[in-house]
Amino acid sequence: MDALTEELKGKLIGILNLTDVQPADIDENAQLVGGELGIDSIDVLEMVVMVEKEYGVVINNKNIGEKVFSTLTALADYIRTNSPAASS
Amino acid sequence: MTAGNVYIAGVGIISPLGVGLAATEQALRNNRSAIQPLSLFSLQNPPALPAAQVNNLPASNLPRTHTLALAAARQAMQGWAQPPDAVIMGTTTGGLLTTEQLLTAEVHDQGQYCYHGLTTVAEAVAQQVHCPGRALTVSTACSSGAVALSLALRMLQAGQADWILAGGADSLSHLTYFGFHSLQLVDPEGSRPFDARRQGMSVGEGAALLLLTTIRPDKPLGQLLGAGLSCDAYHPAAPHPQGKGAAMAMQAALDDAALTTGDIDYINLHGTGTPDNDLAEAKAIRTLFPQPPPLSSIKGATGHGLAAAGAIEAVVATIALTHDLLPANTGCRLPDPELQLIPLLQPSSQSAAAVLSNSFGFGGNNGCLLFAQPDVFAAPPTRQHRAPLSIVGCACLSGAGNTEESLAGLMQTQTIAGMLPLETISANLPARTVRRLKRFPRLALALAAAAYTDAGLEQTPDSVFMGSGWGALSETYDFLEKLRQTNEQFPSPTDFVGSVHNSAAGQIAITYNATGANITSSGGDYSFEQALLAADSLLDDHSAPAFVIGADEGHAQFSPLFDPSILPGSSLADGGGGFCLHRKELPGTCQIRVPFYQNDTAAGAIDKLIAALGGKQTLLSDYGLLMAGIPAAADKAGREQLAEFLSKSMLNIPLVYYRQFTGQFASASAVAAVLAVQFLHRGELPSGLVAAGEPTALTGKKILILGLGTAITAMAVSGP
Repeated sequence: MDALTEELKGKLIGILNLTDVQPADIDENAQLVGGELGIDSIDVLEMVVMVEKEYGVVINNKNIGEKVFSTLTALADYIRTNSPAASS
Repeated sequence: MTAGNVYIAGVGIISPLGVGLAATEQALRNNRSAIQPLSLFSLQNPPALPAAQVNNLPASNLPRTHTLALAAARQAMQGWAQPPDAVIMGTTTGGLLTTEQLLTAEVHDQGQYCYHGLTTVAEAVAQQVHCPGRALTVSTACSSGAVALSLALRMLQAGQADWILAGGADSLSHLTYFGFHSLQLVDPEGSRPFDARRQGMSVGEGAALLLLTTIRPDKPLGQLLGAGLSCDAYHPAAPHPQGKGAAMAMQAALDDAALTTGDIDYINLHGTGTPDNDLAEAKAIRTLFPQPPPLSSIKGATGHGLAAAGAIEAVVATIALTHDLLPANTGCRLPDPELQLIPLLQPSSQSAAAVLSNSFGFGGNNGCLLFAQPDVFAAPPTRQHRAPLSIVGCACLSGAGNTEESLAGLMQTQTIAGMLPLETISANLPARTVRRLKRFPRLALALAAAAYTDAGLEQTPDSVFMGSGWGALSETYDFLEKLRQTNEQFPSPTDFVGSVHNSAAGQIAITYNATGANITSSGGDYSFEQALLAADSLLDDHSAPAFVIGADEGHAQFSPLFDPSILPGSSLADGGGGFCLHRKELPGTCQIRVPFYQNDTAAGAIDKLIAALGGKQTLLSDYGLLMAGIPAAADKAGREQLAEFLSKSMLNIPLVYYRQFTGQFASASAVAAVLAVQFLHRGELPSGLVAAGEPTALTGKKILILGLGTAITAMAVSGP
């Protein structure tokens, strides 16, 4: 388990107010949107804002968004590949 | 009046396309778009996104929404000397743009925020047109204008008024400009509904009002022949993917007018230009119409006027009916093959005898209006309701807790004012259900759940009538605060969706699959009474049970700024009351009515109130308790009105000033109404509420709940 994925779990619980979920409960390879956590399109947009604000990575295309938010692992990979910090 | 004919006697319109009917028609004939990069207010991060704004609006001391509404009202009343009996406005922003400017300037003076409340738009219009009666406000996001017109239609058909001025108004604001952008719903190239490359809407503004009447004018501009309301009960912001709710609303409007799809000559689409809306709307139309008539959305020309949109498009419908102009779907160049509908790409000079106009909004809120040329189709029936509104269940939340705890609090301490912790409010709701809900929607949903449990119904309520003076203060505050803190970069999309007044009613609909009418009313301190009036007008003798709820949240920053009844240094109170009502004679239940609601408190109002309650003799024989609601901000006026009422009616029964124990908040009357039901079921009043020596037994008598101050209202609750 990498640190970024762990960090994202915590942020997810915070911004989506998943008060009944612990980081350990989240399977980073499980379907994120429409899965067990009950995450929907508004939550995705909330995550888009968080990813841009915290990691400087912009996701403003629905097709990219669907891939990026398919699982938490995919999101972490996308951030790693596209963050300004990673490319410098 | 022998039939339910409702005529359009006058129209007023001010939109980004221009001022007045002639300018609007000319712009539509020219297929001109008013969408331009926003310039109304400065932005920290240019370039500005395309938007549609009204230019050259005369300077005014009033907020922009009010100024727009007054301009439309002036036009609509032109040539009509007598004032309308009622005004019904749809609005979502009210004085928000002014509030945003005041907050930025760090103004802390309560008086400066006096036009924040949605109700102040309707009140300003009523004042300008000298309307003596009701000034009502509905706030159902982007369907508000259409829902206001639907409510007007029902009130006219029920004989509650002969003339109603109704429509919608909204101004651009930071909340809507940045809010829709945060949802990625704004097309960077400007709205192009039904186009294959469409990427979203263009936020707009404007106002339109229609003078509706049951008395046929010499030259009517058309008839409002039918209306259909529905709720997707699917998602807070996204439409039902198959357009199920949209189709229901269209079918309901057709049924209401007793027409079939073949009678419709033109459909004015909601057509915002967002990929999901247009797809859902196209599916809904294809479901209903084997061969759809000509259709178009004008939002590529006008932008999306939000609460004004349904009213602006109602005026466009009258242009289609009387000027043989079917407007083009401005902005659409390459119709999306997936939609399987080709809108009008150029304006068309065809006549139309019947027009459907769609409006959909957040909360899955749908309103569809059916307009027709005068006297072409058979008159719709009148709508006199006979059965009473029976209370099958009710519950309240106060600073003391739920219904039982509130009653116990009254016995022990005579005060139940305060604010419950957030977790306590929603103790009866699953954590997952409320994770995105802040204080206002939690109050509302918790009240609905408790009222439903109290009712013990097998059938779930089908419609929702919500009243709130201030709506979702936490979401609105948090959105604007995050916008400020992040230099206009990262406001929360969740807060934007939650900020609309009808978000709570939408949540209730989703939870209970309530796919019928879903109306949120906002009338300041009389909001719950307005919700009851809406329920009374919309529920017919065949309706399923309905939720009627009044709730308001106390907010540490906003409440003291907005609510003049929160005096400096006083602590906040909030809560509300929820009801499951059924229009049916049901033995063993209490019943509730609103015999009187009038905004004009001038001389003669108390005499009218007494007459509406059946006169002095009825008052003396029927009522056993008077609960008076006098907002602190109108204490002097309210006490004078009460003194006049008591002196003229000679009523001498126990009197309680309920705000003394509920605390000061806009929908305190909803708590009072729930407590009244509890008193009636118990047959007696808590002894601490009445003066020593006064009777506590109700002996089969009714309870009268008066709202006093800036309006005069009466609710009558009768026992089982």
